Amino acid sequence: MSHKTYAARPSLSRRSFLQSTAAAGAAMALPGAALAQTEGQLLLWLPGGSDLFCKIHTGLLDGFSSAANLGPATTVCGLGADTEFTQALIGSITAGAPPDISMLWDSPVSLGAQGAFMPLDDMMKGSKIPLDTWPAGLLSSCQFKGVTYGLPVTAGVYSMWYNEEMFEAKGIPSDRASFPKTWVEMRKLSKEFTVWDGDTLTSAGFMPNRIPETMAIWSALNGGMLFDEANLKYTLDSEPNVEMMSFFLEWLDEEYKGDINLIDRSGNFREGYPDGATGVGPAFREGRQAGLISGSWLMGDIYADPVPTFTRWNLAPNPVGPSGTTAVSGTWPNWFVIPVGSKNPQAAFDYLSYLAIEGSVEWYQQIPDVPTNSQVILKAPTALVEKRGQAFADDLTAFLGTQAAIVTPMWNSPSQSFGNDQMARAMEKIFTHAAPVKDALAEAQTAAQAELERVLAG
Amino acid sequence: MPAGKNTVGAAMPRRQRRAGRGEARAGVWFALPWMIGLSVFTAIPLLLTFFIAHSRFQITGAPKWVGMQNYEAIFADPAFWTSAGNTFMFAAISVPIKLLLALGLALLLNRVTALSGFYRTVFYLPFLMPAVAGSIVFILLLNPSAGPVNLMLSAIGLDPPDWLRDPKAALWTLILLNLWPLGVETLVFLGGLQNIPKDVSEAADLDSPKRWHKLVWITIPLITPMILFNLVIGIIYSFQIFAQALVIGGTTGRPAEATLMYMVVLYRLAFRYFNMGQAAAMAVVLFAVVLLLTLLIFRTARSWVYYEGDSR
Repeated sequence: MSHKTYAARPSLSRRSFLQSTAAAGAAMALPGAALAQTEGQLLLWLPGGSDLFCKIHTGLLDGFSSAANLGPATTVCGLGADTEFTQALIGSITAGAPPDISMLWDSPVSLGAQGAFMPLDDMMKGSKIPLDTWPAGLLSSCQFKGVTYGLPVTAGVYSMWYNEEMFEAKGIPSDRASFPKTWVEMRKLSKEFTVWDGDTLTSAGFMPNRIPETMAIWSALNGGMLFDEANLKYTLDSEPNVEMMSFFLEWLDEEYKGDINLIDRSGNFREGYPDGATGVGPAFREGRQAGLISGSWLMGDIYADPVPTFTRWNLAPNPVGPSGTTAVSGTWPNWFVIPVGSKNPQAAFDYLSYLAIEGSVEWYQQIPDVPTNSQVILKAPTALVEKRGQAFADDLTAFLGTQAAIVTPMWNSPSQSFGNDQMARAMEKIFTHAAPVKDALAEAQTAAQAELERVLAG
Repeated sequence: MPAGKNTVGAAMPRRQRRAGRGEARAGVWFALPWMIGLSVFTAIPLLLTFFIAHSRFQITGAPKWVGMQNYEAIFADPAFWTSAGNTFMFAAISVPIKLLLALGLALLLNRVTALSGFYRTVFYLPFLMPAVAGSIVFILLLNPSAGPVNLMLSAIGLDPPDWLRDPKAALWTLILLNLWPLGVETLVFLGGLQNIPKDVSEAADLDSPKRWHKLVWITIPLITPMILFNLVIGIIYSFQIFAQALVIGGTTGRPAEATLMYMVVLYRLAFRYFNMGQAAAMAVVLFAVVLLLTLLIFRTARSWVYYEGDSR
């Protein structure tokens, strides 16, 4: 009886069950195959970005592939920004199926030094984009021990943004030439705009810098640096940096009641964009902040929600610190790399050459990330021409070109993220009065240097 | 040779033995996908974690054996101790509070007769919300200037805290956020409460009219297996708190490392600093600590958990 029960034929045979399992597995694997590269056809990965950003890059790659008879190309957009994107990229490299080209929003030095990206120096020799056509300060963000692991094809250029209408309402000249040339002048001017209502900051001038990514620029403006690339050494607690943070802290104490939390409770005075988590609108666009440091990408977004309460704004060079001698700029580039394991490295490099010269002009016209190769002849962004007229758009484009030529080396440490986090931690301690400037920077320096040495040890 | 075994084997018809072997093979085939999945996605990564914890491994190259160096490095890292302290504090506060609240809620639900299914669903729903989405909702609710919580507190004359920016308040905010999804614990307690035999409950009512007597001497002892289950799961979960901490404090544990949790440090070591060796070493340490705590709880459970039919 039991024998009969065991031998009873199931309604779905084992064979057909296993076959259907295999078929389902294969079907599930198909979307994964779309993310893998094919020989002769280019595959590009992009981190986050708007629909327009994706559309521009898809169009550029398709156009190039078609002209070069490479077959249909694939652009994969929005795989996640920051760490998530890096995870996906590393996963694809270690699995042996990376894209042919990838854009990065974090310096390629760390992963390049670990062998994740192809060195580009040999391909650059004799190409349309040799080494000497790139600003040295910018290219250093892709180089480690003399090897180039990526290209900063375009970059957001950091400069001072200011509300001309707020200046004029106070009778202060609003032309670029009259903008403060030093931190001392900027701090003095800032007081003109700063208004407190009890513990609420209703209006502000300028702010001591609180964006860790831009600290390399402020350090350079004060004659210092955060990372000494030539000697492979962090210098977070050097004299110029101690002086810089002391200056910022005194400024915070004098003009902003020494309390960053009071500032943050009063609005978003940190950047020109709505706060990512709370959605609180930027004080600058609300006409409550006279100026701030920001990247040129804001030009493409400033007329989006929230629409500024004013019409006329302008850009000026970054002012110089007490120990600084010359104005410098900084960038947050859009880096491009060719991952190790790319099946079409030469075609990928040819695309980068095209993108760096012809493609970046089209890109800049729609989203104002500044092309960085010296051979590029810029045309003003279309949207800016529509809003502010050809003369202003041309002037701004020329200004950004000059700023891109004086960028200070940054993003060039093989332990960039770690160093950045240490600086952010020190800044938080300093601005909340949790630790004296020297101690906070010394602690950050010790940690950053130790990590650097660990990475360098291989 | 045991006689019985021989007898059984001899007595089994050949066709039946063949069919039995066929069934065994089929069983293996059916179990194979699961066994492959378990090996590839759980067992092998688990073993590799132990190996990587003793290696210098930067993801893209081959791992290099370094012995105990990774453990020495993480124990020398102040972030390790800060995050471990925060995580212990978080677990020590949030687990007991969560158990008490879930028990209270289960006792209330146990008394509800009308719409009980509706209430159970309502209390379970927060558990289904992704941790990141829930955290963002809390960030908006607790916004110091425009959030409804602080607006209400101000309206009744209280001085509202800066929930997410004040280092003294931020950890409590994280604990509060963790208390929100109580559904699973509540349902486990409710299951226990509904399994208490009616005659025992009625006898307790006759013995003492005071409800708390019944709660302390009858109800709680009879649901101690559920308390044990919720305690162990709660501790394991608390030590692995990640998404909420990452959304609120980022990889640096803003403000002033008050929300820097163990798993966040592990994550940033692996995927921000690309230091897989030290990240794996942290994972091994966490595994050991949670295992020890669990064993400790099970050891003490012999003296306070009551199982029906148990001789004690």
